[in-house]
Amino acid sequence: MAEHVTCQEVVELVTGYLEHALPADEAELFEQHINFCDGCEWYLDQMRTTVAAVGRIQEEDVPPETRDKLLTAFREWKRR
Amino acid sequence: MIAYKFLRADGSSVFTGFRWPLPNGAPGAWVDAPVEPCRSGIHACAPAGMPYWIGRSLYEIELAGDIVEEGMKLVASRARLLRPVAAWNDSLRDEYTRMCADRAHEHALGASPQLPEWDAVIEPSLPEGPALLGFVAARIAEERGGVDAYRAERDLQTAWLVERLGLQDGAAS
Amino acid sequence: MTHLGVQGSQPAADEADLVARLRGGDEQAFEALVARHYGTMLAVAQTHVRSRAVAEEVVQEAWLGVLQGLDRFEGRSSLKTWILAILVNKAKTRGVREARTVPFASLAPEDDEPAVAPERFRGPDDAFAGHWRAYPGNWGAAPDVALEHRETLAVAMRAIAALPPVLQTVIRMRDVEGFSSDEVCKALDVSAGNQRVLLHRARSRVRAELEAHLDG
Repeated sequence: MAEHVTCQEVVELVTGYLEHALPADEAELFEQHINFCDGCEWYLDQMRTTVAAVGRIQEEDVPPETRDKLLTAFREWKRR
Repeated sequence: MIAYKFLRADGSSVFTGFRWPLPNGAPGAWVDAPVEPCRSGIHACAPAGMPYWIGRSLYEIELAGDIVEEGMKLVASRARLLRPVAAWNDSLRDEYTRMCADRAHEHALGASPQLPEWDAVIEPSLPEGPALLGFVAARIAEERGGVDAYRAERDLQTAWLVERLGLQDGAAS
Repeated sequence: MTHLGVQGSQPAADEADLVARLRGGDEQAFEALVARHYGTMLAVAQTHVRSRAVAEEVVQEAWLGVLQGLDRFEGRSSLKTWILAILVNKAKTRGVREARTVPFASLAPEDDEPAVAPERFRGPDDAFAGHWRAYPGNWGAAPDVALEHRETLAVAMRAIAALPPVLQTVIRMRDVEGFSSDEVCKALDVSAGNQRVLLHRARSRVRAELEAHLDG
């Protein structure tokens, strides 16, 4: 078993860590590293911020023709 | 079972941000968390684990319920903070950092061939504090003498902490 | 400390209310619903059919299917799960018609794309190989990384839109729509491990875009 992971390894483990999918010993090394490495703590925080930012995407633009078609369909359906 | 827990300066957990009920003359309230590997459970450590989990503030913690050993940490389903280990203050943190830096220099330059590239990392790492310098010292030791040397360095760090924090009798002073 | 702000599912009461409003002919509710799921549905469709134009047709057909089935929707699954299932169905049917038999999993980018450019770490022959040469930014300390900041959101949206359909689908389903890992695996017929690799790659790219914008 490895004694430690590098920063380069940590950035590849981040998603697995957030998913609680890392094997126990890997998760341990990950946390040990985060504990002493500011850079990777900030990277983990960046990743959390990224996920949170993405999570705030609520509604997006629909192409106008599609929008119109669907609205027409909805109005027809209303009359059922 | 008595163990130790490092928290941030504000009493929150390093990884979860959980705000611990802090002891104030008397032990803090009990906290419960089911033990699920890698998912939940209260983390703490025995003295042997302390160098790996170095944080800003240190507490003596009482563990109860289900307790499992996982790597260098203990995971429990129930715990409460008993008292702060007051000896772990800024001054001692700095001393520990300096101790680790000195040992790191010794490992890097004290034998042949010297490892100047490894040595060069030490002083610039100082501002990042005791957790990093502990790793740096152990890592350079490992470069010299392999995994056994890494562990030996960590054990030495534990011994230093146990002595300076007065943990020998099982109770913090 | 930052906690995951993943968009949760709509509480049951909210959803029952929405369904009632839709059945009652509330056009605004319908338009909002379309706007909320359109991007994800398009991305999923694009993993099944050749062109974007065809994918848009598939999405439209799916919405028609939603309307056709809405009176019979019992709420045993969430509304979005049900909508997505209709979409996947339409997309697969259309894909088969197009003789598109390439399995989803093989659409993933072939190479092992690193999450962060290797040059940012000490090289294999250096002391402390694999450690950061220079630390990434501390966003927790930067006041203008507010999630509410419209610019941040816009950058995230652009980054997602720039992802190939496979990566876009996974990050949209997981992080925009809040589907669980299991639901994504089921909808796309991929293993948990596969899904995780795709999610990792997608999130890493979006983070890099945000970083370029914020620290750049």
